[in-house]
Amino acid sequence: MRNTIRLMKIHAALYVMLIPVIIYFLVFVYYPLVRGVQLSFQADKLFGPKPYVGWDNYVTAWHDPEFWQVVRNTLIIGVGSLVAGFLPPIIIAVALNELLQITFKKFVQTVVYLPHLFSWVVIGGIWIYLLTPSGGLVNEIIKRLGGTSVGFLTDPTWARAVMILLPVWKGMGFAAIIYLASITSINPTLYEAARIDGANRFQQIYQITIPLLVPTMKVVLILDVLGLLRTFDQIYVMRNAVIQSKIDVLMVYVFDTGITNFKLGFASAVSVMVLVATLIITAITTVISRYEDQGG
Amino acid sequence: MAHISDTTPVSVGAGSLAHSRGATWRDRIFPFWNLVFLVILAATMIVPFLNVLAVSVSGPLASSRPGIHLWPEAFTFEGFRTVWVNVGLERAFVNSVIVTSIGTTLHVILASLAGYVLIQKDLPGKKLLVAFIIGTMAVPSELIMIPLYVVMKQLNLLNTLAALVISGLVSGFSILLMRNFFAGVPYDLAESARIDGASDFRIFTNIYLPLSKAGVATIALFELVGRWNQFLQVILFINDSSKYTLQVALQTLVTENMSTSGTSMVTPNVRMAGIIIAILPLIAIYPFMQKYFVQGISLGAVKE
Repeated sequence: MRNTIRLMKIHAALYVMLIPVIIYFLVFVYYPLVRGVQLSFQADKLFGPKPYVGWDNYVTAWHDPEFWQVVRNTLIIGVGSLVAGFLPPIIIAVALNELLQITFKKFVQTVVYLPHLFSWVVIGGIWIYLLTPSGGLVNEIIKRLGGTSVGFLTDPTWARAVMILLPVWKGMGFAAIIYLASITSINPTLYEAARIDGANRFQQIYQITIPLLVPTMKVVLILDVLGLLRTFDQIYVMRNAVIQSKIDVLMVYVFDTGITNFKLGFASAVSVMVLVATLIITAITTVISRYEDQGG
Repeated sequence: MAHISDTTPVSVGAGSLAHSRGATWRDRIFPFWNLVFLVILAATMIVPFLNVLAVSVSGPLASSRPGIHLWPEAFTFEGFRTVWVNVGLERAFVNSVIVTSIGTTLHVILASLAGYVLIQKDLPGKKLLVAFIIGTMAVPSELIMIPLYVVMKQLNLLNTLAALVISGLVSGFSILLMRNFFAGVPYDLAESARIDGASDFRIFTNIYLPLSKAGVATIALFELVGRWNQFLQVILFINDSSKYTLQVALQTLVTENMSTSGTSMVTPNVRMAGIIIAILPLIAIYPFMQKYFVQGISLGAVKE
């Protein structure tokens, strides 16, 4: 005990260094977390004290068809992007690795990574413009090829497809570079040995590169899964009145109900449900990846 | 077939190993199609941006005309002037620069201080601190946006740039990243300095920081990009359009005529000029980015 106090005295300066960080986390992470749970049990009244109403807000959300529509949209768009975006970065990484021309390789690497760097306002703004029915690049190309122009962001089905594919386009370069980094760390003697055994290039990719990328795939997938329920910027920027009901996701719904319509309690209840879902998903993915690590 | 390449005196170098391994006919066709694939891939990235750039420096009429714009027509910087002066992107740009620079600086300072504290071997309560910091990483900021709004309101920070600087002032991710960088600095170095009577703060500034420049650069660049692109927090805390940051000002501009009407006062060249202004600072720091971010990801992924 005395020893602990002595050490604390020696390190007094260190504790002082941490004070702003601790205050920040308490005031802007932990307190809001508690306050959010508290709000979710309070009625939405604009003036005066807000009475506690038990699970009312949760029950209201649970019986709200719009809530379920938003859950559906979140899952369709999120899982869609996850599935559509899984293979492209791996293919790109392998393709880049096979490229012998270093300058061109660097160039492609740079270019595919760019969209990841930009905000959804920029990416959304660009694609809203490119997908315009009259005069947008994509529809101009379709017309040159003899097709008729498509209202990509006014037709709900098309809009969903666009919402699924755009994050793939934006993020695949980023993921590809993560994969490429782990490909380059593969021991070259493995390829050497395979080559001596007569394996051709496809066999080498299939039997050596891909299996050794599995741990990286897991990391990328876990990151994607965790981001799935948090999608906001992309939808908020690209939505419009016509397609809204088919693309609005949970976080946009929370923003609309909570900030725009000022139903703080209701929006908090939805947030708490998403938070719980996120924690469950995190726990499941952690357990699965641990289990597989031990099994494999 | 495989031995042919074994005996052929191919050039020696990084690429030659890949080139020589298993040379069947398929292996000769493969590089060609691989190249074609990558060229098409790069084109899907370049063509949209080329389109944006070409339109941004085209005349208002030329940019509104249907057709494929990959080259400036009626070349002019009018779009930039309109968006900067008339639309008022200048104010938003300045706000973004203020929030990004102050926010990033504070973030780097706080994250490195905390990271330094966490590498101390004999610090009482360290386990608790680590749990406290990692705990914050389980709470995504989107999921507490409603109570965050309430907190900012209680603190009278709504509609201030301070609210934007404060949100994301420090993060568990950055702290752990700095700790991992600092852990690579030999502990003996600090020990001997301590024996010579150097204070903790001195050891931090004179030994640890200079030896962890890559770490500082990594989180600074991550933070710079994140801050510049910050969006949800701005629409959450800011109502007053004179406090808008670039992203939010741009959002009202680029999504304005996306509804079915199509009757927009703002011509495409003006909107695309806005986009170019928003991405230029990022392109400027991009060369530095590439060097550090893979490193950052691999270090950040290290589990506790």
